[in-house]
Amino acid sequence: MSMTPSIIRTYDLWKQYETEGHDGMALRGVDLSIGKGQIVALFGKSGSGKTTLLNLLAGLDEPTRGRIEIEGEDLGALGERGRTLLRRHKLGFVFQFFNLLPTLTAEENVLLSLELAGRPDERLARESLDLVGLAGKEIRFPHELSGGEQQRVAIARALVKKPPIILADEPTGNLDSATGAQILALLTGRCRDAGTTLIMVSHALNTCEYADRVLRMTDGRLFEEISCEGLAP
Amino acid sequence: MRSVIRSFLRHLVRRRSLSILQLLGIALGVAATVGMMLASRSALQSLGTAVDFLKGGTTHTIARPAGPMEETVLAGIMGDPAVRYFAPVIDRRVRLKGGEQVRMLGLDPFLDRNVRSITARIGVSAGDGKTDEAFSSFLFDSRAVLVDENMAKDLGLSAGSIIATLQGPLKVVQVFSNPSGEPLVIIDVGHAQEFFRMKGYVDRADLVVTDENAFRQRWATGFAIESNAQKARTLSALLGAFKLNLEALSLFALFVGIFLIYNTAMFAVVTRRRDAGVLLAIGASRGQVTGAFLVEVLLLGVAGGALGGVLGYLLSKFLVEIVGSTISTLYFFLRPSALPWSFWNLAGGMLLGSAASIVGSLPPLLELRRVRPVHVLRGRTATRGMSKRMGTIALFGTACLAFALVLFGLSFLHVYVGFAGAFAFLLGASLFAGFVIVVAAPGMKHLFSRAMGLAGRIAIGNIRENLGRTSVAVAAFMIALSMSIGLGSMIDSFRRSLVWWMDSQLRGDLYISTKADVNVPEELYEELKTLPGIGGIDVFRNVPITFHGRPASITSIDASVLERYDRFGWLEGGDGSWERMKRGDVIVSESFSRRFKVGQGSRVTIETARGPAEFLVAGVYYDYASEHGVIMMDRSVYLRLFGDRTINSLGIFIDEGNPDRVKIIEEVKHRARAFGLPFATREEFHGRILDIFDSTFAVTRSMRVLAVIVAFFGIAGALMTFFVERQKEFGVYRALGFTTGDVARMTVAESLGLGLVSFLMSAVVGTVFALILIKVINLQSFNWTIFYHFTTRPYLVTGLTALAASVAACAYPVWSVVRKYPVMQIREE
Repeated sequence: MSMTPSIIRTYDLWKQYETEGHDGMALRGVDLSIGKGQIVALFGKSGSGKTTLLNLLAGLDEPTRGRIEIEGEDLGALGERGRTLLRRHKLGFVFQFFNLLPTLTAEENVLLSLELAGRPDERLARESLDLVGLAGKEIRFPHELSGGEQQRVAIARALVKKPPIILADEPTGNLDSATGAQILALLTGRCRDAGTTLIMVSHALNTCEYADRVLRMTDGRLFEEISCEGLAP
Repeated sequence: MRSVIRSFLRHLVRRRSLSILQLLGIALGVAATVGMMLASRSALQSLGTAVDFLKGGTTHTIARPAGPMEETVLAGIMGDPAVRYFAPVIDRRVRLKGGEQVRMLGLDPFLDRNVRSITARIGVSAGDGKTDEAFSSFLFDSRAVLVDENMAKDLGLSAGSIIATLQGPLKVVQVFSNPSGEPLVIIDVGHAQEFFRMKGYVDRADLVVTDENAFRQRWATGFAIESNAQKARTLSALLGAFKLNLEALSLFALFVGIFLIYNTAMFAVVTRRRDAGVLLAIGASRGQVTGAFLVEVLLLGVAGGALGGVLGYLLSKFLVEIVGSTISTLYFFLRPSALPWSFWNLAGGMLLGSAASIVGSLPPLLELRRVRPVHVLRGRTATRGMSKRMGTIALFGTACLAFALVLFGLSFLHVYVGFAGAFAFLLGASLFAGFVIVVAAPGMKHLFSRAMGLAGRIAIGNIRENLGRTSVAVAAFMIALSMSIGLGSMIDSFRRSLVWWMDSQLRGDLYISTKADVNVPEELYEELKTLPGIGGIDVFRNVPITFHGRPASITSIDASVLERYDRFGWLEGGDGSWERMKRGDVIVSESFSRRFKVGQGSRVTIETARGPAEFLVAGVYYDYASEHGVIMMDRSVYLRLFGDRTINSLGIFIDEGNPDRVKIIEEVKHRARAFGLPFATREEFHGRILDIFDSTFAVTRSMRVLAVIVAFFGIAGALMTFFVERQKEFGVYRALGFTTGDVARMTVAESLGLGLVSFLMSAVVGTVFALILIKVINLQSFNWTIFYHFTTRPYLVTGLTALAASVAACAYPVWSVVRKYPVMQIREE
């Protein structure tokens, strides 16, 4: 286990969805501790509960049972308003389908994140785009960018506010392998530079190479993997 | 927050065509309301101007309760200590040779100048103020008249021109300005007595009274004294039901408009759901997201409302003509001029647009507030699998219908309660839209599958599976179509009831003059009585009165003639009432009975020339001649109590089977012609009444069209919502091998399916709505019974309208399909 202090802790986390026909149990007693600045890769088959865990950590969903602590704060006790503030200041999100706002330019999408954090700074937004290799493309709208470029904007949007944690849900799932590798290098590199904790949910095995720690989910249960080899099908 | 708002508002520009659709939806709803309200207000304002202009500085009028007033009483009135100024007036109508009727006032140029500006300016040149020969001409030439500038302009008259009337020529000596818009001819009061053959009589005296109570006490018996405030109230009350119906129609249009706003706002939410999910995931609060949407809604509401204010103002210019002509036909001459443009049209429109937008956007706003980022980011749409909820919503609908029933039960309290009931009914019925789609879907699937193949089957499935969107579109369209069927059925039923009434009560072979025409000289009546072959002559006289502070009228007829030839429809009493009328009892119309709670056996007291007289009510008859109520009495009783020998019209009855019928009618026509009087056969008379009836409903018809246009935008909006929500699905269709034509056909089938289910619902809802209009609204507004008659026409017209609107509504979505489908792929971004 990690020697660094924990930034994320979960205790006996369960999540059940209301579905017809079966019990819909997505998580079954997940206990997890992630240290500050750790880069974690979370693997698992479709429906194993990876995204559910990520959504719970982001406070987007509530567990059926159990507790989550982010920097020592109990998410359940924070309430809706508290969880919103948490996402604003302490969490960055990178999605598989980029999820940029189509009506905002690249720079405005990044600026949006700063604005929500209460620190609107256009210079910082431009610098952040520069850092992900998008200098000169600030005024382009998402539909004018390639998939890889859109994901770079999403990474800039997540990084710009310097959150202690970034959650990435299949960040390369919608990209070709070469672009995917570039994005992984960029994302992990920037997180290491900034000391940001990164949790990446992924199917792509090469993600493992960029991680300090590898986790695997099977049927809602979490297992620690010692090496990348154990993930091979 | 700025970026959040910016991200929402840029959608408006990106989806320009849909923003325009949304804007137009709001604008049309607002335009209908503003237009109708402005038309109604301009009518009332013009009425006020007309009344003010003619009353001048007078405070009261005194007249006999019915008919003209003897000249002999004038000296007493003039000498009354409470009367400061006094002006005798003859107020009649004259028919021009061209057929048009104009109001003719007989005024005393010396007495009248103290109270009115028209007479004060007789003979005064516009510029130098010197008197000229016009004054002496007006005074001494028995045919000299003044005409108002509007009439002079219309007929090309100026000083020295001759006006040809059925009672001989008149010579124009001066043209005067008249802000009221009513064509007006002024003649010296003495000359008017000659012209109208009423020597020794005037119609009334206009007064400036200093002590009203004392004056009323002294002239209480045998006279009707009315203050100008009372007169204004009476005229306003005359228009009350008409105005109420106009306003109700505009509110119905707004009701449909709000549905449309809901539809378009829901569309906006659909296109923002994903963005809202992303924003929530990256830290925006729900307040910020809904706030940004509210800004967008308000922006559209303000812009659409402003456009609606301008369109409503333009619409009022058109409606004011119709309203003016309807009021002139039904009540009194009114040529309302459209109100001048005012900033308030814009402000009012913006306010109405914003309010309607907020009301219409509330449910979508709540949907947006409930957006769960986890669901949205997984790509779930909000509306699938809503069939269970439709049952719950239908239960709310049932509660609304039950509430409507309670309101109908209480509608005797006020007509507004009836209107509230009608709104509750329409709202309740609209909540059944989703439920009906679920129930009708299997049958429709079968039908469309046979007619349009796979595309038809999928289309009905889409309608069934997207209930959150389709139920609202169907509800809006159904309400508009129901209004069309309801109003159409009500008008048809009313028309048929009117035809029945005319056939039973207006059975004369020939009518000389009518209530609205010039009076009939008594000599002609005496002359016709001697003509062999005539079975009976009904002598008709109608005078307006004020009964218990509200307008009504007294009609005198010849009871023995009507007993023999007419077939009155009785609510209470029966043909035995005629005998009792001959002995001094009266019968009252249904509207009188309902308004004043008077029935057979009741007693009514009315002011006569001989003081108050009490009458026993022998019966209550169906009547559509006056919504304000009629007390009908035999002419002998009327003459005895009122001493008014005026005859408005004569109904000539000839026994059936009389071989000389045609010859007798020709002879009567010949004699009427000799007196310069208009006449009409029974068929012509009935035709004229039906023409008036049809023109009365011109406003109603125009509102039907507007409601259907608004609903058309509703369907188009729903189809576009479909289109945007199923972009991914279209990619799947392409992958499966659907051609552009297949998908275009599917879109057409969706539109036709929505149209069909809306029409089927409206056939039921519209019929019930017609019954509500007939049994509740009309009964409360006009106090008369309309008999429901089923006619296929409203259903056919509405069905064709639904078909045309459905086809037109899918034009843009089909175009979008043709343009975009060939490049669609299965992907998220």
